[in-house]
Amino acid sequence: MEHYLSLITKAVFVENILLAYFLGMCSFLAVSKKVDASIGLGFAVIFVLTITSPVNWFIYSFLLADGALVWLGFPDVNLSFLKPIVFIAVIAAMVQLVEMVIDRFSPALYQSLGIFLPLIAVNCSILGGSLFLVERDYNLIESTVFGFGSGLGWFLAIASMASIRYRLRYSNVPLKLRGVGITMLLTGLISIAFMSFGGIQL
Amino acid sequence: MPLLSKQSKNTIVDPLMANNPIGLQVLGICSALAVTLRIDTAVVMTLAVIAVLCISNTVISILRSMIPAKVRIIVQLSIIASMVILTDLILQAYMYDISKELTVFVSLIITNCIIMGRAEAFAMQNGPWKSFLDGLGNGMGYGLILIAVAFFRELLGSGTIYGFQVIPDSFYAAGYENMGLMTLSPGAFIILGLIVWAQRIIGKVEPE
Amino acid sequence: MHNNRYTIIFTTLITMVLAFVLSSVYSSLEEITEANVQADIKKNILTSLGFQPSEEIPWSKENVEAIFNESVESFVIDDLGNVIPDKFPEDIDPKLNANFFPLYRKVIDGTIEGYAIPISGKGLWGTMYGYFSIEPDGATAKGITFYKHIETPGLGAEVDKPWFQQNYVGKKFVDGSGNLIGIQAIKGKVDNSSTESYHQVDGISGATMTSKGLNNFLLKDLRTYNSYFEQVRRENKG
Repeated sequence: MEHYLSLITKAVFVENILLAYFLGMCSFLAVSKKVDASIGLGFAVIFVLTITSPVNWFIYSFLLADGALVWLGFPDVNLSFLKPIVFIAVIAAMVQLVEMVIDRFSPALYQSLGIFLPLIAVNCSILGGSLFLVERDYNLIESTVFGFGSGLGWFLAIASMASIRYRLRYSNVPLKLRGVGITMLLTGLISIAFMSFGGIQL
Repeated sequence: MPLLSKQSKNTIVDPLMANNPIGLQVLGICSALAVTLRIDTAVVMTLAVIAVLCISNTVISILRSMIPAKVRIIVQLSIIASMVILTDLILQAYMYDISKELTVFVSLIITNCIIMGRAEAFAMQNGPWKSFLDGLGNGMGYGLILIAVAFFRELLGSGTIYGFQVIPDSFYAAGYENMGLMTLSPGAFIILGLIVWAQRIIGKVEPE
Repeated sequence: MHNNRYTIIFTTLITMVLAFVLSSVYSSLEEITEANVQADIKKNILTSLGFQPSEEIPWSKENVEAIFNESVESFVIDDLGNVIPDKFPEDIDPKLNANFFPLYRKVIDGTIEGYAIPISGKGLWGTMYGYFSIEPDGATAKGITFYKHIETPGLGAEVDKPWFQQNYVGKKFVDGSGNLIGIQAIKGKVDNSSTESYHQVDGISGATMTSKGLNNFLLKDLRTYNSYFEQVRRENKG
């Protein structure tokens, strides 16, 4: 249990997928202008990461990894070079599936999350999450926990950025710094704040 | 006849400064910043992106009238993903040490918004040669910012440029210290923010 | 514009073309990549055994191969410490043969100058991989190196740094009566006047979990090889 808690803390704060690995920046910069949209997209990312991480773990462990096809009688086959393309396809398919399921069972949730789902398929943080869990040799539970933690970290980052940008409307930012420039500087500051959870050393 | 017509030249030069994909359109920084700790990794990453962008733009442009509209995105995505895997395999075979440091970030070029963005916005409407040039231009514009960020992070964070020590030992003896912040991720955000700011002042571009 | 049949045929075709291109490139480059991986492993073993690249002989793939072939003998032992004849580290698959372990020996002009064993285990965030090298007496640490880990930069990642690795050199991992005790990275600095200091090294401040993990898996891996090194120690005494 302690192990999983430490994994979550790490994924959310110290190694935040956005603030430490810069993944998912495009939608972060574009969407954080609006608070509502940010929270919606944040929830969608948590949701999709938590689902795609274990699914991609299964696919990798039983189809792609070196010797994974032993259950089919091909112990010497190594398809791991295909993982990026397979992962992105799985993610796109999962997003589509999730969209249809939500639409069918919870129209209210679909109203708030639905428009963000297509955006997510090409969000680097989702593919990044899947690639990291292979890189780091996580097992099934660790992968799920890691996926959830990364999503939560991304959510926290975009929600705090959206609130800061909301307040920023009342401040006098130098003209040429407005937009991307100031957002980047602020992201840097948030990133420092998040890293302090791990004990930063300068 | 000159090698490149004026229009072709603009296709390349435009994205370098006036219409830089990172600085202005804010595309593709996802996979970019993590490799800006040192200049050599940034250079290899840039070359990988240029290669993927040029090839995928050209291939998509050749196929543009054949690709059915309904499955357009997924076809583009699989062409791009295959090019990325190819690049990764070649890096692993011929530049193993650097590819070990780039780890997953080469694969993440797939979701780099520049590549999808250029395929959808340019290659689907233009001929192969122009699309190739567009890829080259945008790739170089992307690399320009990437290498600039890496330059400052390596100089301030480790006191070296491309691995060579440039801060003299006498500075360290006099109490100068490398800026640890630059080697951590916040350094990348702050440097990029400042570069974008500087670029907008020089480029005289009105902010949104 | 295009009907469904066309769409299906087109996607099938493009998938087949891409799959063909990818697999052919993969299979043609596989050998080179595998050679790179092997050269990298050898480079790490050489580093842990105290070899250094120089201006005249940089560590290119060929040089690493040459130095390794000239000065390092590699063989495989089982869990009882017996050398398995005609088996080499490249042949064993850790998943299939859990009882075979690779061992590397540095031999210069017929004299054994040290041993290297692979070590790996959980740090704070994930598995750390490295090599631990041992003096010919079978009881003293010669060096330690890591080639892959994901510990926090500035904290756990200090295991990569020379100041930390230098601490291990000359420490003993067996006590006076010949029992295996490992080498412990402790909290804070080692008190050199203490009777325990012969198997202790300075820990990394702020990285207790990394140090603890390292202590544990180092002891675990040394235990695996202990029956072999017991023989080495006995031969040295006798």
